[in-house]
Amino acid sequence: QTIIRGKVTDNNGQILPGVTVKANGTPATAVTDVKGMYSIKVPPNASLTFSFIGYATQNVPVGSQDIINVTLSITQNDLNEVVVVGYGTQKKSVVTGSISSVSAAQLENMPINRVEQALEGRVSGVTIAQSSGSPGASSTIRIRGYTSFSNNANNDPLWVVDGVIVDNGGIGYLNEADISSIEVLKDAASAAIYGTRAANGVILVTTKKGRTGRLDINYNGFFGLQSPAHKLNMLNATQYATIRNESATNAGLAAPFGNPASYGVGTDWQSQIFSNNATRQTHQLSFSGGGDKSTFFTSFGYLDQNGIVAKPISNYKRINFRLNSTYMPAKFVTIGENLGYDYAKTQSIGNTNSEFGGPLSDAVNLDPITPTTVSDISKTPFPSDYNSQYIVRDPNGNAYGISHYVGQEMSNPLAYIQTHLGNYNWEHNIVANAYVEADPIKGLKIRSSLGTKVAFYGNETFTPTYYYNPSASNTRPSFNRQMNTGLAYNFENTLSYGKNIGKHNFNILLGQGNYMDNDTRNTNVTFYNVIATNFNQANLNYKPVTADRTADGSDGTEHTITSLFARATYNYDEKYLLTGSIRRDGSSRFGDNNKFGVFPGFSAGWVASRESFWPKNNVVNVLKFKGGYGVTGNDAGIGDFAFNATVGGGRNYTFGTGDASTIGWSPNAPSNPNLKWEQTQQTDFGFEATLFNDFNLNVDLYRKKTVGVLQTPPLPGYLGYFSNIAQNYGTSQNEGVDIELGYNKRLGDFRLGVIGNISFLKNKILYIAPGVQFVENQAGNFQTMGNVSRSIVGGSFNAFYGYQMLGIFQSQAEINSYVGPNGTPLQPNAKPGDVKFANLNGDNVIDPNDRTVIGNPIPNFTYGATLNLGYKAFDLVVFGNGVHGNQVFQGLRRLDIGNANYQTSILNRWTPSNPSNTMPRVVDTDPNRNYTNFSKLYLESGSYFRFKTVQIGYTIPQSISKKAGINKLRVYVMSENLATITKYDGYDPEIGGNVLGIDKGVYPQARSFMLGVNVGF
Amino acid sequence: CKKYLEVNPEERILETDYYKTPDQAFASLVSVYDMVGNQSSGYLTKTDIMNVGCDDHFAGGANSSDIGDLQAVAKYTFNQISNAGAVTYLWNKGFTGAYRANVFLKHIGDVQMDAATKARYIAEAKLLRAYFYFDLVRFYKNIPLLLDPVDPSQMFNVEQVSPDAVYAQIITDLKASINDLPVTVPAATQGGRVTQGVAHALLGRVYMWQKNYAAAATELALVNGTPGGTSQFGYKLVANFADLWSPKNKFNSESIFEIVFNSTSNGTWSSVGGTEGNLECILVGPRSYSPKVAGAPDYVSGWSGQPFTDDFWNLIHKDPRNKPTVANLDSLETNGIVSYLHAYQNTGHFIEKFAGRTSTKAANGQLELNFPLDMYEIRLADTYLLEAEALLQSNQGVGPGTRAYQLFNAVRARVGLAPIAVTLTNIKTERRLELAGEGQRWLDLVRWGDAGTVLASKGFVAGKNEIFPIPQNELNNTKLQQSKEWGGTK
Repeated sequence: QTIIRGKVTDNNGQILPGVTVKANGTPATAVTDVKGMYSIKVPPNASLTFSFIGYATQNVPVGSQDIINVTLSITQNDLNEVVVVGYGTQKKSVVTGSISSVSAAQLENMPINRVEQALEGRVSGVTIAQSSGSPGASSTIRIRGYTSFSNNANNDPLWVVDGVIVDNGGIGYLNEADISSIEVLKDAASAAIYGTRAANGVILVTTKKGRTGRLDINYNGFFGLQSPAHKLNMLNATQYATIRNESATNAGLAAPFGNPASYGVGTDWQSQIFSNNATRQTHQLSFSGGGDKSTFFTSFGYLDQNGIVAKPISNYKRINFRLNSTYMPAKFVTIGENLGYDYAKTQSIGNTNSEFGGPLSDAVNLDPITPTTVSDISKTPFPSDYNSQYIVRDPNGNAYGISHYVGQEMSNPLAYIQTHLGNYNWEHNIVANAYVEADPIKGLKIRSSLGTKVAFYGNETFTPTYYYNPSASNTRPSFNRQMNTGLAYNFENTLSYGKNIGKHNFNILLGQGNYMDNDTRNTNVTFYNVIATNFNQANLNYKPVTADRTADGSDGTEHTITSLFARATYNYDEKYLLTGSIRRDGSSRFGDNNKFGVFPGFSAGWVASRESFWPKNNVVNVLKFKGGYGVTGNDAGIGDFAFNATVGGGRNYTFGTGDASTIGWSPNAPSNPNLKWEQTQQTDFGFEATLFNDFNLNVDLYRKKTVGVLQTPPLPGYLGYFSNIAQNYGTSQNEGVDIELGYNKRLGDFRLGVIGNISFLKNKILYIAPGVQFVENQAGNFQTMGNVSRSIVGGSFNAFYGYQMLGIFQSQAEINSYVGPNGTPLQPNAKPGDVKFANLNGDNVIDPNDRTVIGNPIPNFTYGATLNLGYKAFDLVVFGNGVHGNQVFQGLRRLDIGNANYQTSILNRWTPSNPSNTMPRVVDTDPNRNYTNFSKLYLESGSYFRFKTVQIGYTIPQSISKKAGINKLRVYVMSENLATITKYDGYDPEIGGNVLGIDKGVYPQARSFMLGVNVGF
Repeated sequence: CKKYLEVNPEERILETDYYKTPDQAFASLVSVYDMVGNQSSGYLTKTDIMNVGCDDHFAGGANSSDIGDLQAVAKYTFNQISNAGAVTYLWNKGFTGAYRANVFLKHIGDVQMDAATKARYIAEAKLLRAYFYFDLVRFYKNIPLLLDPVDPSQMFNVEQVSPDAVYAQIITDLKASINDLPVTVPAATQGGRVTQGVAHALLGRVYMWQKNYAAAATELALVNGTPGGTSQFGYKLVANFADLWSPKNKFNSESIFEIVFNSTSNGTWSSVGGTEGNLECILVGPRSYSPKVAGAPDYVSGWSGQPFTDDFWNLIHKDPRNKPTVANLDSLETNGIVSYLHAYQNTGHFIEKFAGRTSTKAANGQLELNFPLDMYEIRLADTYLLEAEALLQSNQGVGPGTRAYQLFNAVRARVGLAPIAVTLTNIKTERRLELAGEGQRWLDLVRWGDAGTVLASKGFVAGKNEIFPIPQNELNNTKLQQSKEWGGTK
């Protein structure tokens, strides 16, 4: 027998204490110590098995070696993994809910700026869309579809970071590198323990903890350059003048441009606002370790990303700090805290995804004839356009070009940038909790935790005098400062007890919690006529006369919840699994009639593969069936005191000659004392399997039904209310299938891992209110068209609603023969080249009653896949995600500005010599409403697949790096958004935010190339 | 733990705790008046909509899409779909006003206060409710008539009533209000509050719309008193026509029902709909205006909205009311006195009556949005001409020496014009000149039945555009039906 020694680390070079080392065929076992070291006696020609929860088990033949160092790789879907569940953890093998996890290993080195992006494409059942490519922008997350009808916060999930509830808007404070795991509780049986706020799913984030053992120091950083992946093809000046002439002459007007060719190519406004070398960098440094009684993990993060649009005013910087520590003052007591802090500074271009100005919309809509700058105004064709002392000039004193043709909100984007330099938003967030845990007797755990979120945020804005065009000017320089504070806390006490009697395993949890949020205060000061001429000079020390100072402020209304909850789990031999939970919540948002709600959850599982009759085979190694039902609630989206009728001031009028307002008061909205919880009932059924040893398959089917949807639907104006009534209004249903599949294989020096997921979702509105057939998407307003999407009973959430386009009239005869039932022409004023609209209601006119559902912004399915390849010291990660089957409303051109520029697709318009059947003729004022009616002309396929991240790494052999005292040294190159496969011809088919699939000029996501390094000591 | 759920409502006051004290009763009444001066965040006012719809004005502005809602009115291209727009604005203004009056009337009984004051408040609320419904029935014809706040359980069950029923209620409310209203109010503190004179004048207008000319003449005679003299309510024509449009002359003797504005509400670009300043002042001023010589008019550079048409200019050019009515930028520029931007549909002729001036601009805040100039909903010259028309239409004598002749020519004499015969044509011309820019012309044309011919070139369709369509939002999910004129069934 020989003694074998060695060290076990993970693939990051982290030491792994507690790894079981077994000499096969002998009773000998050993466990690695705090330094990851082991020693074991083995007979000759034995082999060793290294196993550790969460890592792939490895067999190593001993051969003639006496030192065997082993690197264990983290497994993605191992059933022995432990997953975080509400108020605790559970072995994955006995979990009966539908929970998706993302581990630190999956996120490592990924170019993720916000935690939402960590989930995009990596978990099934979760739809994520970035609301914009603006640095630091948030994403819209929907877990298993849309439950509430309205567009405000009601569909946002509940975030719980180390037990602290963090509002959806505030989750951006989190540093991705600090995340140990993210669990998404998708089914109601798992989420019901969070009762009131769980209806849209719960996302549990656990941050990294220190481990007993030696000090670990890790650095990861990358630097890269970003550029736009796709620009629009806009008309050049000659093409523009040609089309505008045609549009005017088609309307019987004189052609406005004498000789189109004389304008040449003109200005490419996009090239003026897009940057091809915007930098981004991230630096992460962490220290962790621990002794017998204490552990710590501390980290620093720095992130700096410039935007690709209007770079001088588009930037995001964030500094993070974290300290997580534990201490055991006595054997059975642990105290600890998790403290995260961030400071973020955001410079934003203002309007993103808005048709009302801002650099993107300007670049798309401004005519290409206007020059970027003008050195001699008197030589411009229209000097009077510059007839203002406030015109904006570049640093060389040249005036920025002012369009003679396109006005309103559209300004020269360079002038816009110049007048917004320096302005920024800032925020400080502290999210922390402190807890005491005691386990005085075996199996019993008492825990008390106080968590808070403190936020300070605001902005600094200097507005100089400017004159963009006759509609957009400012004659009074002003400096505005807003400062806000926000406080939220939760106080929770839990008691859990677990006991195993033979093969019977029990666990119970009892808990109590009090929660408060939205204690916000805001003050807002503006000084007008400040002396400053630029942001750097502006401050509040320049005191203008009192009359030029305005101040405002507001206070948030606290939102409180008080809760009692309990859960019991039981399993027999990890074969038959049962879980039941119940939570009773009270919310300050409801009146006495319905202050409290009760939310039960129940689930069961059967691990068939553990049955004695289960044949040992190499096809299905593990098979678990599971199912559950639960009820979750939602009290968001209605504001406070909606159950009561309140009166409000500010309905003022002037009496007498005193030149002052008299304050008037009137009711806001009638009361609704019966207002109650929106309830989501969800049934889930699924199975988990390990196939052929290497494949992990996870399938879930669900049906979610939301009843009593809370919202403030728009009411008829004849009621005269000041605001709308909050109501429990309607029923919606989401059905779907979530599938996750993983594969891991190691063949000698070659490593292969694939994880993929796909989610199918079908949404249906079952009921709205008596006699009510639809509710319009209030965020889906597009220019003069009104709301372009609505939720109709029997249909899908916020489906596109417009006119059916039958084609294009090719001749007058065709127009004359297109008649209604009474024989009169339906579109008597149409001309050849105009759109033929369907007369759906069979009357004698084409009018708004002929509209119908013409598209769906919700994808049929979303999917994501990660490929991990490794060969010796090289590794490759390819990660991509996509959506399929949805439509996007492409509304980049301003309809109400006739002279706005066009995309080159207009060159395919109908003309007598080009009898197009897809693109109608151009004509001023658009009498046939070819473009002003919403039809499929505006809808495009929103399907896409995006290579989100591609990364190639090389780990310097330890033999070399050790010499420099470095445990691990890896260098990598990567690309984000390398390629997007789509037919969409706007900037970016990924449209987040409330609008749901309506693109009014969304800030596109950048394509970036980065170089990075990991160092571990 | 239930106590934990009772949080401080911050600024909110429950409706059940309100409507107890005299102060609260008054604040409730103020909220009804609020809608008289209501202006939308999109710069819509009753006056500007009426102006651009008529033959005296273009929409103007920076370009053909500046304030698209007004451009649509000027071209008659609006429809029921748009959720903003004049169609929805006028509807909501009227019904919100009526609702607030209904809320007041529902709660006022519970307030412990002096009986006479309470009676006066009730009378004011009823008059204002009648005023709102009068606008609504003229603009939309087929409307619901709501005299109580609608219970939420019934909010989708409301139905339209006949225009006759609405008119009957308007007359009932106006008549019920008269006795409890004051004869006059002290201008300094209560100017703008409605009086008996307002009730009679409104009643007169209502009868005119019903073509009940004899009754109209009777009511208007109470308001007008002896032509040229001072009536029982203290009304008398202001001697100098130009003095009518100065913030210094608020609540003058000619003012019957005034829409009051102030310069101190601090309206900002983000609260355009909430300002108590008069938006019309910035809307109609010349764009990029700059004086070139000393003594040039002190206009504030405005947005060139609602320029007068050449047709109107030709009519008023030789009239003594020309100068106080028309800001003649064309002439000022030609003579090198000023420069300004020739914006969309520029004629060089703007509304002098309302054009913002440096002398009338707010002392602080966003000057564009805080002009304190008032406007007239009803003034005495209007009721003079209306009564003359009523007398003519009811076949009473109109020759020299008659009351109709005196009334009609008192309006002319005030600006130094010689008397002429009282004919319908002359009255129409006189009203057009006298009340130019004040939002009366479109309503007059509709009332006379002339709109179809006079406004045809703007896109007005006879038999359709006399009323506005019921806004789509009101039809969604409700029992309301679109008017026949707009392709509906009502």
